[in-house]
Amino acid sequence: MSDYPDPDEEYELMYADDLELLKEHEDIEPNIVKRKPLPAKRSLDFSSPVTKKLPVITDSTQENDDNRIPLSLTPNLQYTEDSLTPAQSNKRTADELFGDIDDIDFDNVELPSKRQKTEEETDLELINKIVESRKLKQMLLEPSNVQRKFESVFNAKENLSLDIPRWPFMPVTNSDGERVYVRFESEDAWDQSLETSTNHHSLHSMYTKTWDEARQMLQKKQEEEQIRQSQELLPEVIVDVNSNNLWVEKYRPKSYIDLLSEEPVNRALLHWLHLWDKIVFKKEVKTTEPQQRNSFSKRTGQFQLSNKWRGKREAEPELGEDGRPHHKVALLCGPPGVGKTTLAHLLARIAGYRPVELNASDERSTEAFRTALQSATLMRSVLDAEKRPNCLILDEIDGAPLPTVELLVKWCTASAVEGKKKAKSQPLKRPVIAICNDLYATSLRPLRSVSLVIHVGGVSLSRLSSRLQRVAACEGVVARPRVLAALAARAQGDVRAALHALSFTARRGLTQMKMEDVEKLSIGNKDCSKSLMQALIAVFTAGEGDIMKTVQAAGEYDRLIDGIFENYLSARVDSRLRIACETLSWLRLYDLVYSWTLRGQNYSLYGLLPMCIARCHTILATKATLKLKFPMQAHEVQKRKSELESIVKSVWRGSSPSVLLTLTPLRLDLIPLLPYLLNPTLRSANVQLCSEREREAVRTCAAAMCDYGLQYVQQRTDEHLYAFVLEPDVHKAAFIGNEEKMKPPPPVRQAIAREQQLEIIRRNEMMATRVNTNKPGPSEAKSTNDKKVTLVPAKEARLPNHLQRLKPKDVDKTPQVHKDFFGRIVPLSQVQRSDAVPDVISSSNVFYQYREGFNNAVRRNVRMRDLL
Amino acid sequence: MSLWVDKHRPRDLMKLDYHKDQASRLKNLVQQSDFPHLLVYGPSGAGKKTRIMCLLRELYGSGVERLRQETMNFTTPSNKKIEIMTVSSNYHIEVNPTDVGIHDRVVIMDLVKNVAQTHQIDSSGQREFKVVILNEVDDLTKDAQHALRRTMEKYVATCRLILIANSISRVIPAIRSRCLTIRVPAPTENEISSVLLGVCKKEGLSLPTELAIRIAKCADRNLRRALLMCEACKVQQYPFTPDQKVPEPDWQLYIKETASMILSEQSPKKLGEVRQKLYELIIHGVPPDVVFSGLLCELVKNCDMAMKCQVASHAATYEHRMRLGNKAIFHLEAFVAKFMAIYKKFMEESLGDVF
Repeated sequence: MSDYPDPDEEYELMYADDLELLKEHEDIEPNIVKRKPLPAKRSLDFSSPVTKKLPVITDSTQENDDNRIPLSLTPNLQYTEDSLTPAQSNKRTADELFGDIDDIDFDNVELPSKRQKTEEETDLELINKIVESRKLKQMLLEPSNVQRKFESVFNAKENLSLDIPRWPFMPVTNSDGERVYVRFESEDAWDQSLETSTNHHSLHSMYTKTWDEARQMLQKKQEEEQIRQSQELLPEVIVDVNSNNLWVEKYRPKSYIDLLSEEPVNRALLHWLHLWDKIVFKKEVKTTEPQQRNSFSKRTGQFQLSNKWRGKREAEPELGEDGRPHHKVALLCGPPGVGKTTLAHLLARIAGYRPVELNASDERSTEAFRTALQSATLMRSVLDAEKRPNCLILDEIDGAPLPTVELLVKWCTASAVEGKKKAKSQPLKRPVIAICNDLYATSLRPLRSVSLVIHVGGVSLSRLSSRLQRVAACEGVVARPRVLAALAARAQGDVRAALHALSFTARRGLTQMKMEDVEKLSIGNKDCSKSLMQALIAVFTAGEGDIMKTVQAAGEYDRLIDGIFENYLSARVDSRLRIACETLSWLRLYDLVYSWTLRGQNYSLYGLLPMCIARCHTILATKATLKLKFPMQAHEVQKRKSELESIVKSVWRGSSPSVLLTLTPLRLDLIPLLPYLLNPTLRSANVQLCSEREREAVRTCAAAMCDYGLQYVQQRTDEHLYAFVLEPDVHKAAFIGNEEKMKPPPPVRQAIAREQQLEIIRRNEMMATRVNTNKPGPSEAKSTNDKKVTLVPAKEARLPNHLQRLKPKDVDKTPQVHKDFFGRIVPLSQVQRSDAVPDVISSSNVFYQYREGFNNAVRRNVRMRDLL
Repeated sequence: MSLWVDKHRPRDLMKLDYHKDQASRLKNLVQQSDFPHLLVYGPSGAGKKTRIMCLLRELYGSGVERLRQETMNFTTPSNKKIEIMTVSSNYHIEVNPTDVGIHDRVVIMDLVKNVAQTHQIDSSGQREFKVVILNEVDDLTKDAQHALRRTMEKYVATCRLILIANSISRVIPAIRSRCLTIRVPAPTENEISSVLLGVCKKEGLSLPTELAIRIAKCADRNLRRALLMCEACKVQQYPFTPDQKVPEPDWQLYIKETASMILSEQSPKKLGEVRQKLYELIIHGVPPDVVFSGLLCELVKNCDMAMKCQVASHAATYEHRMRLGNKAIFHLEAFVAKFMAIYKKFMEESLGDVF
């Protein structure tokens, strides 16, 4: 037979007496009995169980296979059956056989060495040991649940009688005076019954009640003890208050073992810190090979987790060529209160550094930041006796301004140009740990790509509650484990909040923490803002808390709606497009309400918006994990649209008023057809050789370009040639997709460009003649007169330089009126009499005129003929 | 003025090619020295603007053809500076208030008041009013339309408004009742082809009648488009052949392509592809209502009568909602999804009958 006991036998062996445990196992083994996710309400799930993946078969199962197949009667058939319906197969993996084996202490069950025994033997032995130890454990933990297998041998009904029995008896008179006959038993029989009763009657089952009582008494005793202790400790607590030592500070983990965060996280950071050893401590770093790491983690049962944090980086070398780690910065991210700062400090100390912290309370301008960086990474403390190197910890970096982060990134990546540059930009030689809450903060974008990102998740419930228990015991707060567990659950992995809550209860003078205290606490439901992506994931994932709350926490409904719109098509199987129609109807409603709100600035219906999203959630949510895209499309479309719009607008602005259209016909009629019109077919390149008709075509084309303000501009191409490029690029706006369509060949472009220049000159000339020769026809006379008021200045300004003529300035010929000092008019005769000399001057053709700021005050009119 | 569209545009009311009755009536209207505010409406490319310019020429003489382009600046109540381009002669000013989007009310109020409050200096031998031409009145916001209606009455002595719209359904009744509405219907295909033939004759080209009819069919009863297409034909290939390729605007072809994609397969995946196409159309500035009508025309070709009604009514509803909303793509895609659902059901039922 097979190595393993038959499932039924095993069931007897193991599960008969602990049905309760069985239930637990069902919860614990989801990866074995893969329950098919219930099909969502609307979707049509065509996937048959055949297409489902086989569960991962471990080594032991394969052995099992090998042994079983030759034994079975119809091996092939069974095999196929097995492979088709794995869930129902008789084969079971080792995990299934043993259930969750983590709860058994492996120190007690010594792992047998494989050298001594064959594998099958070891397996069998292991099974036995596991089963035994589990039974033992069950006995100890839950004595009351152990079922009695044997009925009590001593039966009063059989052995006592009021009548005279047939078996040997002993008459006894009881207190009422009644006669009772008691059966005689042989000594052997008595011994036997005694033995059976002691053997099979579990002591515990007999004294379950007593056991409970004893336990209660113990507990009570313990509590009393604790109260007594706490009363003794009271003065000490008061001292604590004076020294303002927060519990969070007081019970900060002092060693690696104390850390509450997940083991892989701790290890990842520590490993990264040790990678610096070469450059900092001049010590050779053992970079463990990926293979080794895998096997190592397999043994500790952390295969999956370690894969998760290293996963894709496996292939990358961890050390750069200059001996520094590949990632210069470690970026810890996670929700507040999970112990990121503590982790960073502790690990830095463990790795032999002196942590230097820089947080939001410090100034973080670029200048201050640079000095801090320099002092931390290039110098070392003199006062410190141990002469430890620094490790810079940048706390709360997501609040730092963008230039600061950019400086940090530059600092980190400075190594590449190390040789070329001066010593000023020395490469980073100390580890830098950055800590943030929101990994996707905009200012962190440059940092994210160059750093090792380590996610610090919330502390698990059990670890947190056990830690709380310890703290409570130390501080003398009496709290039931149940209460502390509730507190831990309430804190949602936030150690700080939980500890503060505990300490708050203690400070209020309460020595006992009750369930209602926990319920009254305001932690846990803090106003947590969710990122857009989180909300989007929540919308598409079934059964994750209150969707309305998540959506409202995220805000940004508009982006969220865009996100839904971009992702909803892949969310569910929807062959008849009913889901699509339904979703879109809600999206449309959203759009209506939102536009209405914006248009009237009336926010009374604003509350409806998250409901639309919530409704989309009920339609679209599935259990399956989707690959969601961040909503970018709307933005991109907007960008491209405005780009093309600017082309249309520039054509519109450039076109002359006589042919001006409004924008819509321009967009729909003219621009799409313009490329066809601007692409005349010419036989040869040289315009001079063209036929009259072809020249006419080129001329029309050039004229049209003038009309619509288009022109060919010479631009340098990549091959260092000049090419004529149409400006604005109508082709881009006219054609969808194929922009190169209908572009005339370069010689034709050149011909058109030349022709257009001629056309421009021709037009200018026409304009000039129209302005200069004031000989319009009789019909135009009136209009040109009108034009003078408005048109002439504009036209004159446009007149080319060479056409402008200098005109003599008209001299003012008003008769001079002489005035005396007081402004009275002096009669001319008097003037002439008194000013004989000025008169001479004025009559001569040399005259002086004083002008402020003008030094060539002497002027004389000289005629050409005088010089000749 | 070198393209045929501009070169051969009639300048006189009596030289118009079609709607001659209307032309003579307009002429009479002008000759009685006074005329009310006008609301000229009709589809794009029907010749509204041509008629208005002829009318103005009749009114003021050839001076209206001396146009100049100016940029005017306005300041909104929120102190935002806006610019708008105007085209004006000495007698009229033409403006397109929708260019400034939601601030069109300011433009209407300031501009019309500006023009209307300045009297002509020398009114002898001229009309004592100026003309303001407002384009695309149906796209004006409600605010702007309401601002318009009071101004229209107040300054009727010094200024006449000529409003141009594609359809009067979106012009508020208050304005409609203040204007003399003139409908300029789109020319029929025969009229278009005769215009094309006439233009070609003037150009000294010989256009085969078949080609003229084909162009007229392609042009969707839009004379401007027809003329442009005709000239594009000429540039591409001359002498004409009756079966030569008529260049069509790319977006029209694209809409047809999209429609055939919708008809080829109805699935969410296809819907995603259609969305990209719709986005592309929006990027190229094709108004969503044009996309709607284009898609509808193409799609109903494959429908039976009952379904035609259903699809058309859905299209109408969705288009209406689209105008109320902001995100045109939602409504377009919703229409496509709805059509796909209806069409798929129809196909499955009809296939079910076969088997």
